Amino acid sequence: MSLCQVNIESRKKSLHHFYEKVVGPLGFKFTPDEEIMNFLLEQEVVLEGKHGIPFCPCQPLRNDRTRDMQIVCPCIPFHRKHFDDIKRCWCGLFVHKDVLDPGKLPQLPPKEVKNE
Amino acid sequence: MSDRFIRAINAGEIAPGGMKAIELDGSEIVICNCGGKYYAIQRRCGHMNAPLEMGTLDGIYLTCPLHCAQFDITNGEALSGPVPRDTGQEIPPPFLAGYLQNIGMMMKHVCTESIRTYVIKLEAGWVLIRL
Repeated sequence: MSLCQVNIESRKKSLHHFYEKVVGPLGFKFTPDEEIMNFLLEQEVVLEGKHGIPFCPCQPLRNDRTRDMQIVCPCIPFHRKHFDDIKRCWCGLFVHKDVLDPGKLPQLPPKEVKNE
Repeated sequence: MSDRFIRAINAGEIAPGGMKAIELDGSEIVICNCGGKYYAIQRRCGHMNAPLEMGTLDGIYLTCPLHCAQFDITNGEALSGPVPRDTGQEIPPPFLAGYLQNIGMMMKHVCTESIRTYVIKLEAGWVLIRL
């Protein structure tokens, strides 16, 4: 990406602003764990600096645009069934609105998703 | 920078969330109404000079209409560069592929700079800008 200088904190703040508007109507919110939230947003800023797009920091890029675009944060609409079952997104940046302690959420591999 | 404030527009000319481009003493400026608070920024994008008033204002964040670079209008800070274009699945013909490759190579060297902001004040329903 051709950006001469980026202030990571400013970009994190703006990503937070934009994401909040998208995930809220989908029934999600930012994780209450601020340390994790800050870390993940920072990684997204780094990925955006590298690729021009804030991809999910916990998923690999496959050089397949169709699949890669499905892990652009927030990727909730593309993996809704799985996320609804585990009440969070894969990296944990977003959790269901009713989740207070994301650390207690069970892990569930995609193959065991009930709604699939 | 001088201390001279110039009457720019009537505050009522811009609805909340709106923007308006003006020319003031030879400077191209965009005035933004962010929920009743006004900000003034340079009109040209810090990436490739696109007119920013044709972009999108969401809170204090402005997205350029040309390549979607984003800026904070409160301080003009560049927050992101251009979003990469989707060239689709089709392979372009050789003459076009070479051209696109050339353009892409040059685009990598185009920086997205922060944009200039202007000091603003409201007086008797008018937006005044310090140039």
